[in-house]
Amino acid sequence: MKPKALSRLIEIANDPYGCLAELREKKRIIGSTLADVPEELIHAAGLHPFLILGTNNPLRHSSALLPDNACSLARSNLELVIGYQAAFFDGFVLAQVCDTTQHLCDIWKRKFPDHYFENFLAPRQVARASACAWYAEECRRMRSALERYTGQKITDEALWESFRLYNENRALLRRLYAIKQQAPGLMTNREFFDMVKACFCMDKAEHNRLLQEVVDWAERDKARFADQQGYFKVIMAGIVVEPPIIYDMIDQIKGNIIADTLCTASRYIYHDIELGSDPAEALADRHLCKPLFSPINADPERIYSDLLALYREAGAEAIFYCHIKYCESQDYDLPDIRARMREQGIPFLELETEYQTTRLSQMRTRVQAFCESMIKRRGIKR
Amino acid sequence: MSKQPGKQKQQASAHELSRQLTEAYLKDACAAREEGRYVAYTTAVSPVELFVAHDVIPVYPENHAAACLTKRMGTELSLAMEKKGYTSHLCAYARSDLGYRITGRSPRGGIPDPAFLLACNAQCFTLTKWFEVLSRKYQAPFFVFDTPQWIRDPGARKEIIRYCVRQLRELVAALERLTGKRYDYDRLAEVMACSQEASLLYRRFLDMAAYKPSPISIFDALINMAIIVYLRGTPQAVNYYQTLCAEVQSKADQGIGAVENEQFRLYWENLPIWFKFRDHFNLLKAYGANILTSLYVHAWSYEFDTTKDPLETLAENYCSVFSNRTLEDRAKMALDLFQRYSLNGSLMFVNRSCKAVSFAVYALKEIITEKTGTPALIFESDMGDPRFYSETQIRTRIEAFLETLQRRKAERD
Repeated sequence: MKPKALSRLIEIANDPYGCLAELREKKRIIGSTLADVPEELIHAAGLHPFLILGTNNPLRHSSALLPDNACSLARSNLELVIGYQAAFFDGFVLAQVCDTTQHLCDIWKRKFPDHYFENFLAPRQVARASACAWYAEECRRMRSALERYTGQKITDEALWESFRLYNENRALLRRLYAIKQQAPGLMTNREFFDMVKACFCMDKAEHNRLLQEVVDWAERDKARFADQQGYFKVIMAGIVVEPPIIYDMIDQIKGNIIADTLCTASRYIYHDIELGSDPAEALADRHLCKPLFSPINADPERIYSDLLALYREAGAEAIFYCHIKYCESQDYDLPDIRARMREQGIPFLELETEYQTTRLSQMRTRVQAFCESMIKRRGIKR
Repeated sequence: MSKQPGKQKQQASAHELSRQLTEAYLKDACAAREEGRYVAYTTAVSPVELFVAHDVIPVYPENHAAACLTKRMGTELSLAMEKKGYTSHLCAYARSDLGYRITGRSPRGGIPDPAFLLACNAQCFTLTKWFEVLSRKYQAPFFVFDTPQWIRDPGARKEIIRYCVRQLRELVAALERLTGKRYDYDRLAEVMACSQEASLLYRRFLDMAAYKPSPISIFDALINMAIIVYLRGTPQAVNYYQTLCAEVQSKADQGIGAVENEQFRLYWENLPIWFKFRDHFNLLKAYGANILTSLYVHAWSYEFDTTKDPLETLAENYCSVFSNRTLEDRAKMALDLFQRYSLNGSLMFVNRSCKAVSFAVYALKEIITEKTGTPALIFESDMGDPRFYSETQIRTRIEAFLETLQRRKAERD
């Protein structure tokens, strides 16, 4: 029987604003956006970092502020804070990673003139020494800005403590991911990725506590669910997987996601912060050594070479690529990725989605058809 | 650019000079590889001075793409690219360029292949991704000059400059690796002096729009900005803008306007719709309206401080270009143009091709109309692909807007 901790994490992932309403009474809540804001700094400042992951509900306000060719993650993030959860946040730290997010910061700030607001200017090149120095400098700037906001010094000790807490969180998630990879019947893709998602919004110590319970259960029961028969191993590529029903579709066809390039999974959970050096530099080191899967690489072939390496190392049988409509980065990468995968004979399925997507039955049919072809091609026994 | 136009050519008109310079520049770029020199692709807003001083020939896929779009090749080239799996909602420059790579179709014989690519993201993020595609295609090294948004915090600006200077040193090292030649900073100082002089002259030319009637329209600005984009840092560019300024000054002195009986002086937001240049000019002219300026054409009026470390003044100028500024700063810059040029209305184009500029348009319109009390028209289309240009609808809306201006003027008079 699955532990209650698992159900609670899933409940939070699917209704974070409902489940975590009491958070507002304990701490000021600072919303941030994907993918590079160092939450540890916000946490060490005694604030509650909360990653905003949009809404699948209808857009009513953001359409008047951003054209419809802005990616739906940006539009639905804006909609969420204006139309649905305006009262939930005390401030925002938003990352700028592309033209859309750069403008989003300006529009957002204009809409919330009374809120604390900070841009986090992550480097948009990651290969040279200057990138590491810049990331560290931005962390120092953000640390000072947060201190001004709270009126409290952020001590190095508080930072190391936060780093330890976040490292523990990452280690638990990695452990759970490893068990899931080996025991596909133990939990669904949806369950695992929901548990990861919960960590973006809830109290980290509480997440660790619940996660530990789940890991203990998983360690105990994994042997019973280790049979790989009927499953095929999948890599999930992209930035985010939305709407999450896509995970259900993959579960239905018995695809076991064993690795990914998602900002909301591997990019978040791999690589710890090394303790002991300068805190800003420690954050920068983590940022630059974590799995890159970055939209910008010095070696432009990494858009597919990283994916191919992941596919081979993991022993996967197919790649699903979740393409957010109007994401420019993905729009430019996809044709070359697709061509390279075809060339290598790798089963590759693109799923074009939007947060407000309504064409789910069409997508389901495509996923099922892809699965059928996989069964024929690889002779997978069901 | 190594060849200087002959003495007799210095007497030519600005128009003729532009033609000669463009021809010589393209010839030079095409011959570079055979002559053992290097061609580097770069973005229109980038520290190209570093290339010029190192005898690396800068080539601008954007300029070539704009030429394709002006010749109404946008749809044809985009379709070729779409067949390869790209979407039709990418930047029209990128679509046109990638289409050219597939078909070889070009209005002027194409452009040479790159040995190096530099993308400066002060202009946009799109360019970095587009250049990544080209870097893969040509297996040429790719350098991203990352310019964090020029936010208003003075402390942050100082650190941004430090970061950017550090990157420019990395770029110099990359150029030394490419050519095997040691970088010559004395030569860079000479190039910077030319760049500064040409930039000031270019700004002087743009500022002649303040005359009443204005001797230039934005269409003149768009045509004459080509030289500052691709010959920045050369004496030829200085000579060209001296000639141009003298010609335009003479028109201003004689009270010759770009539009007869100038009634309305308008601001344009965004890049132009390249394939509708003439049509728009004629439509507006019929109403005595002239579009005088935009933030876009001012993107190349730099102010290099030649007493500073060249890398520092390069970083300051390229980071602070309008497209890398905050919304508040952009609005401030546009309002400054309103005041200096006595503008009385805006045509605000939401360009599906250009997210970097267009996503600010709705908020900019709010600020400009609130602060100036002048009317503004927002319309959506694409700068290069006629499939996304709704002829009748846009024409009707522009006409209705111009009639509103007429009515307001009549009420005031």
